[in-house]
Amino acid sequence: MKYITTVEGKEYTIEVLDDHHIILNGKTMLVDFVSVDGQPVFSMIVDGKSYEAIIQEGEPEWDVLLRGRLYPALVEDEREKRLKTASGGAVEGGEYQLKAPMPGLIVTVLVTEEQEVTKGQVLLILESMKMQNELKAPRDGIVGRIRIKAGESVEQKQPLLSLH
Amino acid sequence: MFTKVLIANRGEIAVRIIRACREIGLETVAVYSEADRSALHVRYADEAYLLGPAPSRDSYLRADKIIDIARKSGADAVHPGYGFLAEREDFAAACEDTGITFIGPKPSAIAAMGDKGVARATVVKAGVPVVPGTEDVGNMTDDDLLAVAPQIGFPLLIKATAGGGGKGMREVKTIEEMPNLLKSARREAESAFGDGNVYLEKLVTGARHIEFQIMADGKGNVVHFGERECSLQRRHQKLLEEAPSAALDDDLRQRMGSVAVKAAQAVDYLNAGTIEFLLDKDKNFFFLEMNTRLQVEHPITEMVTGIDIVKEQIRVARGRALSYKQEDVKFNGHAIECRINAEDPYNNFMPSTGRITHSLIPTGPGVRVDTGVYPGFEITPFYDPMIAKLIVWGETRAQAILRMRRALEEYRIVGVKTNIPFHQTMMDSHRFMGGQYDTRFVEERFSLEEAEESRADFGEIAAVLATLAAHKQTERSAQIVQRNERDASNWKWVGRWERMHR
Repeated sequence: MKYITTVEGKEYTIEVLDDHHIILNGKTMLVDFVSVDGQPVFSMIVDGKSYEAIIQEGEPEWDVLLRGRLYPALVEDEREKRLKTASGGAVEGGEYQLKAPMPGLIVTVLVTEEQEVTKGQVLLILESMKMQNELKAPRDGIVGRIRIKAGESVEQKQPLLSLH
Repeated sequence: MFTKVLIANRGEIAVRIIRACREIGLETVAVYSEADRSALHVRYADEAYLLGPAPSRDSYLRADKIIDIARKSGADAVHPGYGFLAEREDFAAACEDTGITFIGPKPSAIAAMGDKGVARATVVKAGVPVVPGTEDVGNMTDDDLLAVAPQIGFPLLIKATAGGGGKGMREVKTIEEMPNLLKSARREAESAFGDGNVYLEKLVTGARHIEFQIMADGKGNVVHFGERECSLQRRHQKLLEEAPSAALDDDLRQRMGSVAVKAAQAVDYLNAGTIEFLLDKDKNFFFLEMNTRLQVEHPITEMVTGIDIVKEQIRVARGRALSYKQEDVKFNGHAIECRINAEDPYNNFMPSTGRITHSLIPTGPGVRVDTGVYPGFEITPFYDPMIAKLIVWGETRAQAILRMRRALEEYRIVGVKTNIPFHQTMMDSHRFMGGQYDTRFVEERFSLEEAEESRADFGEIAAVLATLAAHKQTERSAQIVQRNERDASNWKWVGRWERMHR
C-alpha cells in the first residue's frame, strides 16, 4: 500500500511492502514496528536506531508524540488523495459545533442566540478540575442554538452551542 | 503522644504522608470520596472510610465527617496535607476541641496568615517589608478600591483576601478595565473560597517568586530550610520549582531566611510553613504571603537538605524539639520538580480526563516520583489536574537539568494528555538553562510552538510512525471484512456476527 503522509507541510511518499520493509521517498528501508503491550505506545527500530512514540488517531490527523514534541501527521492513501485532489478538495463546513472539551460545570454563558461574535471572543465559561476555562469562538460568526444553561453539568463532547 | 494518623486528603500528598507515617511506625487512616474508592491512598492506608460523593464539598471538605471518622477509628492526629481543609482555622480548632492533634500550626496562626490583610499588617509590625498595596483590608467596596488604585499605581494586582493558587487574581493595566476585572475576580474568589473579598497590590515587574521553607517547634526554635525558586508559573499556577534559586547568593539567602523566620515568629508559628517573597531585579525582596501548611513543592527542599519535612512535622506535632538547629541545615546540590498535570499543552492547557491505560515511571539515580495514580485509575474532573510530581537531584544545576531531561523522556502516561512535552521543551530552553527567567516568562516569552521549531526535527521519523500505525489499523479492519479463509461457511459467520451485534 502506498501512502502520502504530510508532517509540518512536508509530504512523504511511503510504501508499505510487507511487515518489515517500506519505501520512503524512493529508498527501501528495514523497519521493525511494534506496539508495546497493546498500548498506543509504539517502538520502532529503523536501521538500528530505536525510537518510541505515543501515536493516537486524531481527526483528521494522527498525533505522534516523539521526543517531547508533537507531530500531527496527515496519512492519506495515495489513491484517496488523488481522488480528493480531482474533486477540488473538501468544502468548508458552514456550521461550527462547540462541544465540551471535557466534563464540567457551565459557570456562565456570555452570549445569546443570534448574537454576532468575533474570532477569539469568549462564548462561555466551563469549570473543570477547579479551573475556570474560557471557551472561545474559533472564527467570526453568529451564535445559533444554545443547548445549555449556566449551572448545568455537561459531559465531554456534549454539544454546547453552534456558530453559523 | 499520638499513634494513629488520619490523612484528610487524597492523591499524591496523601500517599506521601502515609509513607512518612509507615516509616515512623504510626498507623494510618485514609478517607475517600466515591470517585476515589480504588485510589492509591486508600490502598496503602491501614484503614479507609468513605466520606461521600465525588464533589469536594460533599467529601474532602466535610470537616464534620472527617472528625467523626477520626473519633470512631481512634485516630488521635490529623494531617491535612495541602488544599482542602489545610488552611481552615475552624477545622484545626475543631480537631483541638475533640482532643485530636492537628499536624500543623495553631488555629490563631492560620487565621492571622490566612487573611492576607491581617498577614500583611502583622509582618509589617515585625519589620518585614511588603509590596505596596491596600493596607487596611476588610470589606472594601469596588468604589473604595477604584479610589485607592491610582495611589498604588498601575499595573496592579487584584487578589482574593482568602486566596491562594492564583484563584481570584487579576492583573490590571488601566483604571478603565478595573471594574470588569473586579467583578470577575470576586466571582472566582466567591466560587473558590466562598468569600468574594479582594485587595490590591502593586505589580512588581520582572520579579521572581522565591519562597522559604520554615519549621517551628513548640520550644521556641524556628529554623529555615532555604529557598525554592517558583517563578515558572502559568495563570499564577506553579509549573516547575527548583532549589536553590540561581538569583540568590549566600548573603541574600541568609538575609531573606532570617526575615522569613521573623515573619513566622510574629504569629507565634508552629510546624511547617512557607514564606513567599517577591524578589525584584535589584534584589529587593517583599513579603507576599505565608502558606500555613505543607507545600506541594516541599520535596525539592528535602532533596537538597536531606531532611524529611513530613517526619519533622510529625515530630514537632508530638511535642518534641526540631532535630535540626539552623547551623545543622546544610545544602547539597540542586533539585528540580516538574508538576505533571493532566492537561493538554497543545490545546491551551485544557484539563484532560480519562482512564490511565499505560504508565511507565522514570527511575534510576537521583529521580523521585510522588504520585497517586497508576494504570487503570480514572482521572475525574472533580479534583486538581496535578497527577504526579517528578523530582530530580543533581550535583549541580546543569546536572539536574540533564537528569530531568532524561527522566521526562522516560516518563510515559497514556490515557490522558499531560504537560510532559511542555517541561521537555522548557528543559531545552536557553533562557531556562541560563537561569534567566521571572514570573512572566512562561506567559510572555515562552511559546511551545516556537521553542519546538528550534529543536531537533524528527518529522520524517514521525511520518513513518504515523503511516505504519495507520497501516496497521487498516490491516486490522480489512481482516474483519475479508474472511475467506475461515473454517465455517460465510453464511454461518454472518449469522454469528449479526447475533453478536444485536
